[in-house]
Amino acid sequence: MEDFLTLLLAGVSVGAVYGLIAIGLNLTFWTTRTMNFGQGSVMMLCAMLTANLIARGWMQGLAILAALAVIVVLMVFTEMYTVRPALKIEGSMGWAVSTLGVGIILQGCAALWFGSQAVAFPDVIFSAVDDVVIFGVHVSLQYIAVVVLALALVVVFELLVRGTVWGRAMRAVAMDQDFAAVIGIPVRAIVLGSYIASGLLAGISGILVAQIGGTVDPAFGFDLVIFGFVAAVLGGMGSTPGALAGGIVAGVLQQMVGGYISSAAQHGMAFALLILILVVRPQGLFGQREINKV
Amino acid sequence: MTLKRRELLSFTGAAAAGGTLGFARRARAADPIKVGFTTALTGPFNEFGEGYKRGIEIAIEKINKAGGVLGRPIEIGVMLDDQLIPDRSVQNMRRILDDKSIVGLFCPSGSGPTLAVIDMIAADGRPTMNPQAQTPTVIYPNGPGGKPRPNVYTFSIQNDIEANFMAALLAKKFTRIGLLNESTGYGKTGSELIKAGIAAANKDAVVTNESYNQKDQDMTAQLVRVQRARSEALMVVGLGADMAVIRKNMTRMNMTIPFFTSAGGLSPPYVEGAGDLAAGTKGSQFKKISTVPPAPETKEFLDAYKAKYGADRLWGTDPEVPTPSMGGTVATGYDGMLVMADAFRRAGTTDAAAVIKAMDATKGFPGCNCTYEFTPEKHHAIKIGDLTTYEFVKKDGRMTLVPTAI
Repeated sequence: MEDFLTLLLAGVSVGAVYGLIAIGLNLTFWTTRTMNFGQGSVMMLCAMLTANLIARGWMQGLAILAALAVIVVLMVFTEMYTVRPALKIEGSMGWAVSTLGVGIILQGCAALWFGSQAVAFPDVIFSAVDDVVIFGVHVSLQYIAVVVLALALVVVFELLVRGTVWGRAMRAVAMDQDFAAVIGIPVRAIVLGSYIASGLLAGISGILVAQIGGTVDPAFGFDLVIFGFVAAVLGGMGSTPGALAGGIVAGVLQQMVGGYISSAAQHGMAFALLILILVVRPQGLFGQREINKV
Repeated sequence: MTLKRRELLSFTGAAAAGGTLGFARRARAADPIKVGFTTALTGPFNEFGEGYKRGIEIAIEKINKAGGVLGRPIEIGVMLDDQLIPDRSVQNMRRILDDKSIVGLFCPSGSGPTLAVIDMIAADGRPTMNPQAQTPTVIYPNGPGGKPRPNVYTFSIQNDIEANFMAALLAKKFTRIGLLNESTGYGKTGSELIKAGIAAANKDAVVTNESYNQKDQDMTAQLVRVQRARSEALMVVGLGADMAVIRKNMTRMNMTIPFFTSAGGLSPPYVEGAGDLAAGTKGSQFKKISTVPPAPETKEFLDAYKAKYGADRLWGTDPEVPTPSMGGTVATGYDGMLVMADAFRRAGTTDAAAVIKAMDATKGFPGCNCTYEFTPEKHHAIKIGDLTTYEFVKKDGRMTLVPTAI
């Protein structure tokens, strides 16, 4: 039972991060039918900037805010100069290459500025030794903090999307960009906002993961984005609760397979799950079947 | 006496040819002896590549200051970066092997890249020093005890040596042992050898073996399996940054069993990532490099390093005594270059066959990590006696490795 609870909590915690990344991918998919394949590098850059600023004596909160501010600027650049031009060509997949390119350039810049070695990431709020005992099991407060923060972000995000004018505008853009523009919705600003929000979610995910692992290096984040993508597809592309649920299912399944069947098989699990869902339920757990009338 | 026109022409031609030859001979005598290598100069594991490059450079400075070898200076002819990625190592090594002016080679850092290029090197036949890869099949393709590749010599702690050392210590004290290894050549062979060593030393010992991928951010599943097997100690074969993730994960799970690592784990990235949690971690490393007071040959190297780079990250936290991992990161490159230069000198040429013959006759060469001896049958030098156990202890606010008993 103790093993089961330990694996479950670790799975939920890691899965919640996959969920956040998936929500970030969903956001841009809604508004532009594109995804930022450089999302992993955004996670890395935010975590590396935070670690370096804290190492220079900055207060933790200030360092995180400064790193997130850099991410905002970066996402504005990404949307304006790598995605928008590519979308001018009907049916072009140029955005996939250009966003991936930005990610690779960011990796190179990080290696140049901060060195290519793993940088120690400080404990944020809690350290690895902080825990509470629940049913006789030591439960890490770092894990709990990740889950709580991820859930809070999802709730806030859903409230914003469903309860505000900007949220409704975003949904309108997701449904039909041209019609949204006709009725006066600032489509370009909404698209730009979706990229910024996506980057912020990636940045926060990077910080959450880095403080658990304890280190961050320029190659950090790439695997996590793949798992985030699996979570997004599993939950149903475009669905926020689906992204979180997909992330948690993927995370828990990984840990259970690793803990009870084989640790060597745990990484393959996410991809097995991806293949399975695409065969059995292509629209994902929370997605709706898309019907096109011709 | 008058010279006929034909005689004059032939005399002039001969004089010119003689002069040219003489000039060519002088030029060749002054030509540098070139060595080449590909290694992880950048990337997340660049402490290894950058380290052994520094070792080679310091050795070359020492050799050239003393007049070079065979009247010629030594220089690094080609130095390429592979970031510890095997594919890049192969491309780089192909370029190096195509350059026939290179007369001595060094293997890349790490077992994966080295195993990827070692057959090319063996087929090429030029004398090659292996500063860091630990997998025994780099040297002995049919396993330890077999015939070595004729032109490759290792200066690293071979996995079987380290495994036998650690296995004997662990088996003496524990009967249920958790073994975790990274899923690379280094990790796999290391853990297989430790497992075999433990079984040989204690037939009742139960070993639970799990693996992880480099840079995994969570090892809960592996650790749960080790815990479920009621392991009394955990031994990890891996590198420093991953070791920090494992140590943090253990702490979150309140896993307090003794923690041991291979030589690759007792390194600066581990302390930087794990911080104070590193205290109490034990493992094996080079003995001679951190011995106080140092042997004269070690002191000469350490003084040269400190003068050039100071007591930096590779040196470690104690400004007076280098961390033992420096034996593996920097000193193996230094020792490798000096031993190769000594072979050039004894061979009287840089011809590969003659240099290999001289390398096979290396005896009693005092290096920073051990006294080097190679024979046609034995191409590794580090013995069990050249290793010792260390423990991370917090001293004067710094995390320092101190010799300890297991």
